[in-house]
This record gives sequence, structure tokens and C-alpha cells, in this order.
Amino acid sequence: MNRRKSSGMERKMSRQYLVLVLPGFLIFTIGLIVPLFLSFRYSLTDWDGMSAEMKFVGLQNYIKLFGDKEFLESFWFTVKFTIGNTIIQNICALLFALALDSGIKAQKFYRAAFFIPCLISAVIVGFVWLKLYSNVLPEINTWLGTNINFLLFGDADTVLGGLLIANNWQWIGYWMLIYLAGLQSVPAELYEAARVDGAGPIKRFFNVTIPMLAPAITICVVGITTGSLKVYDLLISSTKGGPGRASTSMIYQTYTTAINGRQYGYGSAMTVTLVIMLLLVALIQVKGLKKKEVQA
Amino acid sequence: MRRKVVCALLTLSMVAGMFAGCGGSGSESTDAAADAKTEESADAAKEEAPAEEAGDEEVTLTILAGQSTTDAGIEDMIDEALAEKYPNITLEWECVDWGNDFQPKMQQYLQSGLPDIMIGKAQDVATYAPLGVLGTIDDTYLDRGLDAARENVTIDGNTYGLVYNALYQGVYYNRAMFEENGWEIPDTQEQLQAIIDDCKAKGITPFASHMVDTWSIGNVTMQFMMNDVFNNTPDWGDQFREGKVKFETDKAAQTAYQYNKLIFDNTYPETFSLEQTECDAKMVQGEAAMKVSGSWSIQNFLGIDENFDFGIFPFPNQTGDSKLIFEPNITIMTSAESENQEAINAVLDVLTGDKELATEIYDYTMTASMLKDVTPTFANPSQTDIDKYAAEGRIVDVTLGNNQLVWGGFQEENAKDIASWLLDEATFEDALKASDIRVEASSAN
Repeated sequence: MNRRKSSGMERKMSRQYLVLVLPGFLIFTIGLIVPLFLSFRYSLTDWDGMSAEMKFVGLQNYIKLFGDKEFLESFWFTVKFTIGNTIIQNICALLFALALDSGIKAQKFYRAAFFIPCLISAVIVGFVWLKLYSNVLPEINTWLGTNINFLLFGDADTVLGGLLIANNWQWIGYWMLIYLAGLQSVPAELYEAARVDGAGPIKRFFNVTIPMLAPAITICVVGITTGSLKVYDLLISSTKGGPGRASTSMIYQTYTTAINGRQYGYGSAMTVTLVIMLLLVALIQVKGLKKKEVQA
Repeated sequence: MRRKVVCALLTLSMVAGMFAGCGGSGSESTDAAADAKTEESADAAKEEAPAEEAGDEEVTLTILAGQSTTDAGIEDMIDEALAEKYPNITLEWECVDWGNDFQPKMQQYLQSGLPDIMIGKAQDVATYAPLGVLGTIDDTYLDRGLDAARENVTIDGNTYGLVYNALYQGVYYNRAMFEENGWEIPDTQEQLQAIIDDCKAKGITPFASHMVDTWSIGNVTMQFMMNDVFNNTPDWGDQFREGKVKFETDKAAQTAYQYNKLIFDNTYPETFSLEQTECDAKMVQGEAAMKVSGSWSIQNFLGIDENFDFGIFPFPNQTGDSKLIFEPNITIMTSAESENQEAINAVLDVLTGDKELATEIYDYTMTASMLKDVTPTFANPSQTDIDKYAAEGRIVDVTLGNNQLVWGGFQEENAKDIASWLLDEATFEDALKASDIRVEASSAN
């Protein structure tokens, strides 16, 4: 009798869960799953995105992809941009969070000042830094009589550095807040116990702070990595993928190939490859970092 | 159980996704629509009532305007003029940058239905008319334009675009500087080189350029191609697709690419960080002697200094017979499917019949008129040069080249490779090879 009651209850709960999940599931399916599979379907064709003809070409687009110099160049730029961002943003965000957590004066002011850039659109950020590099900063040379090269977007050797500065300026404050929240949730007793055991500030940082921040590190690393792999809007208003092709990201390359180049099928193959890459990177990072997480 | 249900739903959605693709939203439907639209457009053209008969019914027309840098703002002028003559018609504008966004927008609208009116360039007609989505333009309005305006927008006897204005492209030069230094207008590369050498000896930058805008590299390359390649081989683009000529082996095409190096070696060192407005300002301020550009620079030149005196000459080619480049610019196209043909005709009536509006637009954009009996009133210091080349028959329509080697996906991408070569990121051979590999993308159809 009781078993029947509980199984009836379970069915009721299941139905409730399904009803709750359904709206989100439908939106997710229409907005993401269906386009993704459409994209996969197009990637097996030679469709130009406009005409009536759509010939099935099998995996030809994927094979072509790995011999495409422009795509491989965009892949390497994206990888370098992602690695640079992940390292710099995590380290700087954590250092800023530690500084703010140490009880310095005007903490709220600094927190707001660091956070404000992430409220600005990346398109605006790109434009602002383009003007800074080409107009504002070179004026410093005029005032000081120096010869510092501020034209970072104008040279293939310096454009990556210039973009990293712009991107980190925008996002460090955002990730800093996540680290700050993590730091503020570390129980003070743990630090006290470590101090009683004779641990100095460095030992306390590596043996208490870092392990306790592991969930925040997971969020930040995965967020920064996937965000950097998808960089597009920053480039649109700053370098437009140049000079030449020196700052063309995978998404930028995909867009110009599929839309401007009228190679929708080939561009779709690029999209599918990028999605798989994003999923793999996120999966590896989450699995790897989750193992290191500890509970207070 | 829950997992199984969710799994089943996911699988179902994936399969649905695949089948949706097979349904061919963009394939069969477009195909069928293409035929239908061609017939419909022909019928519609026959049945069109005169614009004057446009009823009093409130109509809102959608317009996708792919604008050049000179054009932003003309939409307000058109709205105002239309409101006076046809107050029942409202225009809903979507203004985008022609170079970057017009084609993507059109691609999107080809799937969901075109706006009533599209404003692009003459070369767009060759791209979209064969798809059967453009309506023919009524002779009433075409007859108000110059005959030369029809040539490159007519396919199989049907005219799908109304060319409204034109740009001239070539080398803008600082007239006062030329006179002071006793430089003559160069016809040959040797004469041009002599001016460059003299400029350098006197500490003047020979060429103003803004290569940060890759489109500017693409634009000047087509200017060079017109005079060194298409001048001798008018069907070079077609031959390129047939495999008869290649960038890697064609000396004339290589020369056209090499001129970019001539500019790069004789321009500002910060050209890859310099935007157009700053570049034009430097030219006006006398920092540079020449600029390979087009009429779109005039707005900046005269905006910075209304007394700036400049002229224009064609970039000298190898044979010394280069021509000034003429480009039909604002080109009005209509949707073959639109149910508002009368209202569309009313808009065309205002655009071609209201001479005051036309003059206002030409004066604002500082471009040449393509309408009969309408002449811009703005003082264009380079007009005497244009008139001279026109009288000598030394003007060539760049649509010839742009129709054969399209901008999006070909010229635009080649320009990036040229930039890489100029910056030593790639070799000259790499740039040529990349253009050859891109052969399939060189034609819109």
C-alpha cells in the first residue's frame, strides 16, 4: 500500500519536474540544439547560403579545414589569445581580489572602478583602445619626447599584446569579484588553525586559500577560456582581424568565410569544429579542476 | 525514468533538427520561389500603376540601405521629401555599412523575405538578380536617369537597379603643392616616380593612406587592376575562372598588386594604425601630396578645410593610358515579391522626380549625378579634371571589374593577403597563390 503511494507520488513529482523543465528545454532546443544540428547538416554540403543548389559533399569540408592555411592561422591566434587571457586574467583577478580582501581603504571604490569596464560592450572597448593606441598614447611621446611604440594594433608582432591588454582591462574586474566572493567565504577558523600550526602567510595562501578557492578557480578558468575562444566583437571594432590576418580569430574567420565569402557549408564545418573544441576544453577543465575542489 | 524521457526528447529534437535541414529551407524553396518570382516580377512590372495613382492608404515600406561612408544621413532627406508628396507612405529604414553588413543582411533576408526596397551598389544587381528575387524597375523612372546608368544593372533585357549617383576614383592631389613644386600630372610610372622622389627629397610624404582599413587596399587594388589588367583584357575575370589566366603567372595582375608596395613604401609609417578621417586630415594639412582614393574623401577634405584645392588623375599604368575610374554608387533595387509596388513606385518617383531632393543628396554626399538635368551645386575642385578626362574618353566603369571579381569573399580577402605581404607576414608569391586558390569565390554566381 505504502509502495503504491510512494510510486504514485514519484510519478507526480516526475510530471512536475518535466513541466518545470519543458519551457527551458524548448527554448534551448529551438535556439541551440536545432541550429547546431542544422549547422552540422549544412557542413556536409557545399551550400553558398543564397542559391538553390545544395550538394552533399560528405566530410570534404572537414578534410579541407585541416589543410586551410587561413583557418589554421586563425586557430593559432585564438589559442594564443586564450592562453594569454586565461593566465593573465586569473592571476591579476586573484591578486586584485586578495588586495581588496586585505582590508585596504576605499575598497568599495576600487571594486567599482575595476568592475565598470566589464559593463561596457566589447565593441566599444575595441574602439576605445584603437583610439588610445593610435591617438591618445602617442601624444605621450610628444609630451615626454620619448619614442615608445604605442601603435600596437598596427603591427602583426604587437597586435596580440594590444588585444590582450584591452581584453584584460575589460574583464579582470569581473573575475576579481568572483574570487573576492570566494575569499570572503573562507572560514576564518581555517586561517587561525593554520596560524596555530605555525603556517606563514605564503603557506596559508597555498594550503588554505587556494584549495578553498578551487570552485571559484574552476568557474574563472572555464569562463575565461571559453569566452576567449569565442572572441569576435572586440576584433570587429579594433583590428578587423588585421593587420593582414594577424588577429583573425576562429569565429571571425568563420563569419567571413560563411557570410562574406558565401561558403555557408564550409563555414558551418568551422562552426561545428569550434563547438566540439569548446566542449572538449570545458569538459577537460571542469573534470580536472573539480578533482581539486574541497569543501569547507 | 526521467532520464529516459529527457534522453528521448533530446534525440527527437536532434532528429528534428536534421530533418529540418533536409527540408531545405534555403534550397528547394528558394528554387521554386526563384522561378515564381521571375514570372511575378514580369507581371508586376506590366501591371504597375503610375506612381501618381498611389492611394491614400497608409503604407509602410521596409528599406535595407547598404551605405557608403558618404551616404549616412540621406535617409532623413528622403523621408522629408516623401512626406510632402506622399504623406501616406512611411519608410522603415535599416541602414548598414555596405562593405561589411549589406551582404550578410541580404543573405539573411533571402531566407526570410526581402525588404520592399534595397539600396546597394550596381554590382549587387549581378549578385542578386540571377536569384530571381529582384523586381524590374519601371521605365518611367529609369528614363529620368542617364543612359550610362543602365548598362551594368540590366540582365537579359530587364533592368533591376536604378543607379542614383556615381563616384570617381583615382589619385587625389594637392593642387597648390603640385603648382608650388612644378609637378606635372603624371601619365607614366616614370613620371610618378619622379614626383615621389622629389617629395621625399623635400620631406613630403608622397601618398596619404589608411591601410588599417583593409577595404582601402582592396579598393585601390581594383583601381590598379582596371587600368593594367581589364584595360587590356576586359574579360580577365571570366578567363581567370576558366583557368586561362592566374595571378601567379599573369604579369599585369602582379604589377597591379605591386603598386600597393609602391604606396606602402611611400606613405606614413603608421598607415596600419591610421583611420580614414585622420589620413584625410593629414592630406589637407599638407603632410602628403597625393592619395589614391575616391569621391568619398571629398566630404572629409572639404569638411576639414572648405578652401582645400585638389584635383584628381588616374593612377598611371604601365602603358601610360590609364583612365579615371567611375563607379555607379547608390543603386536602388526592389523586391520582386513586394505587395506594395505602387508605394515603391511612389518612392522611385520622389527620388527621380524631385530635383531639389536629388541636388540636396548630391551636394551632401559630394558625388556625381546619374539623373538627367540634375547637377550638384557644391564646388568640387576636382570637377575640371573629371571633365577633362571625360572629354578625352578616359573614364572607365569599374563595375566591369567588380562584376567579374566580386568584393565580398574575393577582393576583400585578397586585400588581407596583400596587407600580410606588405607587413612581411607572407611573401608576394603567397599573396598571389591565395588569390588563385580563392577562384571559386571570385564570382557571385
